[in-house]
Amino acid sequence: MAATFLAFGAAVQEAGLSPGWALLACWGIYGMPGQLVLVQAAAAGWAGGVGAAVMGAVAVNARFLPMAVSLAPILTAGDRRRLLPAVPFIAVTPWAAAMRTLPSIERSLRVRWFLGFGMTSWVVAGTAALSGFYIAGALGAEARAALLFVNPLYYALLLTADLDKAAPRRAVLCGAAAAGLVLVLPPAMALLAAGLLGGSVAFLLGRGRGVG
Amino acid sequence: MASADLALLLTALICLGLRLAGVWLAGGLSTEHPAIAWATAVAQATLAAFVTLAIISPAGALADVPLAARLAGLATGVVVCLTKRQWLLPALLAGITTMLIVRALV
Repeated sequence: MAATFLAFGAAVQEAGLSPGWALLACWGIYGMPGQLVLVQAAAAGWAGGVGAAVMGAVAVNARFLPMAVSLAPILTAGDRRRLLPAVPFIAVTPWAAAMRTLPSIERSLRVRWFLGFGMTSWVVAGTAALSGFYIAGALGAEARAALLFVNPLYYALLLTADLDKAAPRRAVLCGAAAAGLVLVLPPAMALLAAGLLGGSVAFLLGRGRGVG
Repeated sequence: MASADLALLLTALICLGLRLAGVWLAGGLSTEHPAIAWATAVAQATLAAFVTLAIISPAGALADVPLAARLAGLATGVVVCLTKRQWLLPALLAGITTMLIVRALV
């Protein structure tokens, strides 16, 4: 995860934004795909307008909604207000770690575990992004290419780690296949549509096999 | 307010709203509920689509890296990840190294 935020910091520096902006994006949005959409828009001089950039960033981070839906019942079966401090930390890395780890942790300790993991992730993310920002200017072409490749590869590996389970495997394969919608839709809309279509098809396939 | 700051503020607020809405919707549901299974599948599929587009058809400077290098890096990372369970860092390093080697050769 630190490598992805290191790469993000470098991209922010190249886009001409400030280190404070990098830090606030890490902590405020805390969803790398959306952060990258904004950085790309800034690099292009906000050519499509701020509204379009925001919609693109929200669309690419729309997975926060189903992530929270799937995570909340695992964190607590009781009062939802107990989850409010944990809400800002719902993002890919804490979510993936929580879905894998929490079922084996006593239910009364789960929110505390998630808060600890989330806050640690925030500190690592902010530190890495600032480091990336300040070292970006000193990098050569190869190092820059390596940094740019970190984010897509990291998320691909996160998904790969779950491929041994049938339900995630179906969702990943269907989502990847549905990415072809980019050929007929604008990129931000294509991503959202691919997620909804691929995820729904994967869900229905699982229901058809009686495994949810 | 500068465009970058306004975009950041709006995106952060809406993303927080999405998270809150998810928690509110999920409050009384069990993990076996069909709506939860569907939501999980949509989240994973969206991320898979994002990764696919970012590697096959990237925007910005990553597009300057040849497709063959990107695919070789991805394949290497996935293979290492599958053989070294729970160890993402070695897989990440192997994938990046392979990408750089193929990039230099192509």
